[in-house]
Amino acid sequence: MLEVAPIWQPHIQQQNYRLLLEAMSRPGSVHSIKGLNTISNSLLAVLAALLDSSVRFCDTSDLLETTDIALLQAIQTLPEEADYLLCSGIGVPDFQPRLGTLASPEQSATLLVHVETLQAGDLQLDLTGPGIKQNRNCNIQGLDPDWLVKRESWVCGFPMGVDLILLDQQQLMALPRTTRVEVH
Amino acid sequence: MNEEHFGFLDEYAKKEVRRATLKAVAIPGYQVPYSSREMPMGRGFGTGGLQLTLALIGRGETLKVIDQGSDDSVNAVNLRSFIEMTCPGIHTTIRTEQADLIQSRHRIPEKPLREDQLLVLQVPYPDALVVVEASEDRRKLLHGEADYSRLLVKLYEDIVKFSEITISHRYPTRINGHYVIDPSPIPRWDVPKLHHSPALILLGAGREKKIYAVPPYTQAEPLAFEDVPFRVEDFSDEQGQRRSCVRCGCNSSFLDEYVDSATGEQVYRCSDSDWCNQQLEQQQGVDQAVEVANG
Repeated sequence: MLEVAPIWQPHIQQQNYRLLLEAMSRPGSVHSIKGLNTISNSLLAVLAALLDSSVRFCDTSDLLETTDIALLQAIQTLPEEADYLLCSGIGVPDFQPRLGTLASPEQSATLLVHVETLQAGDLQLDLTGPGIKQNRNCNIQGLDPDWLVKRESWVCGFPMGVDLILLDQQQLMALPRTTRVEVH
Repeated sequence: MNEEHFGFLDEYAKKEVRRATLKAVAIPGYQVPYSSREMPMGRGFGTGGLQLTLALIGRGETLKVIDQGSDDSVNAVNLRSFIEMTCPGIHTTIRTEQADLIQSRHRIPEKPLREDQLLVLQVPYPDALVVVEASEDRRKLLHGEADYSRLLVKLYEDIVKFSEITISHRYPTRINGHYVIDPSPIPRWDVPKLHHSPALILLGAGREKKIYAVPPYTQAEPLAFEDVPFRVEDFSDEQGQRRSCVRCGCNSSFLDEYVDSATGEQVYRCSDSDWCNQQLEQQQGVDQAVEVANG
């Protein structure tokens, strides 16, 4: 019988979605992605939980295999037009993502940023904002500090902005547009 | 029922609801539009809350469904049995503290929610601005600009006419200093529970096709004026004594008013039936302990 990798199975996608919801609700909290194995990486697992044929997607840094992108069914497009973008944390983004409009801020991009690790690292952030009781510290390895400068320029006009989901090989963390980030 | 049908909705419908919830959390208080599928019950019967629950829930999780504080009323029973039927492997409970997910109509449980719990509220009318602006396009702009001056004028008119703000439920509440939401028809009593709630609160309006959220630990301020502060329901009697529940004696919960059919007297009971039961059990536990102690 054909064996379907766990990340494509509805109950694993439900669990990964709940991790995303938890991460978005509590910015800076780190969660272990479910259903990973030798053929499924963390990027694909999170995308599989979110994407289908009704959204536009762009792999800005060629992080995925073409065959895997096809499985996501999403419409491939330019970074400026995508609902979901996959980016590398190394290097500074050279595109302008969708920020939504004042009346429809949800028509904005969600950026999935691949970093080396969310466990430790030389980039130390202090987070405040909705979802965080007082403040939360987190360490990231493999995210160019200029990413945060760019992010700031995108999220400064609330309610417009972008939401970031950071991913390493096993885990995820979110920085919604409302989170205030200070670099130590 | 096979695995493909878990949760009644197809996976595309679930993913759309899921994407909408993530945006709703990222933009606190903003009403995210979604397509709102046909459910096997009339719109207006909690289909928004139901679609949220079906998109959220997974095997092994425990669900509580309440309607006006009660687990046993028609809306709650029907929704609960529908979810049980379409989501094999989930558990249901009437105990607030045992639930992972709580779907509710018109109340937030008395027992404080925890960080690991999630509250889904059923919403009939999601837009607080609908009373002052008929056009949705214009309302969306007003929301974007956080311009609630006309809503405040409406509240002010209330004060001029009645010397106080007369909104009893669906009290307009400002989330994270920007969007004003209709928090669903919860009484004023429950509005302060939105403020810095440890649990995530998701609101779903099926007929109006909107999903919005109050993230945990987020400011939620009921609209008010400096000299006319927000206040919750007052359950004092004529002598100024706090009324208590006729069943369990609790004098700190939100009370429903009934008329005793035999005597014609007004009686008060806890609106949250699980809370009331637990108060009773505690007292009975104490009574039994006293009995045991007295031999």
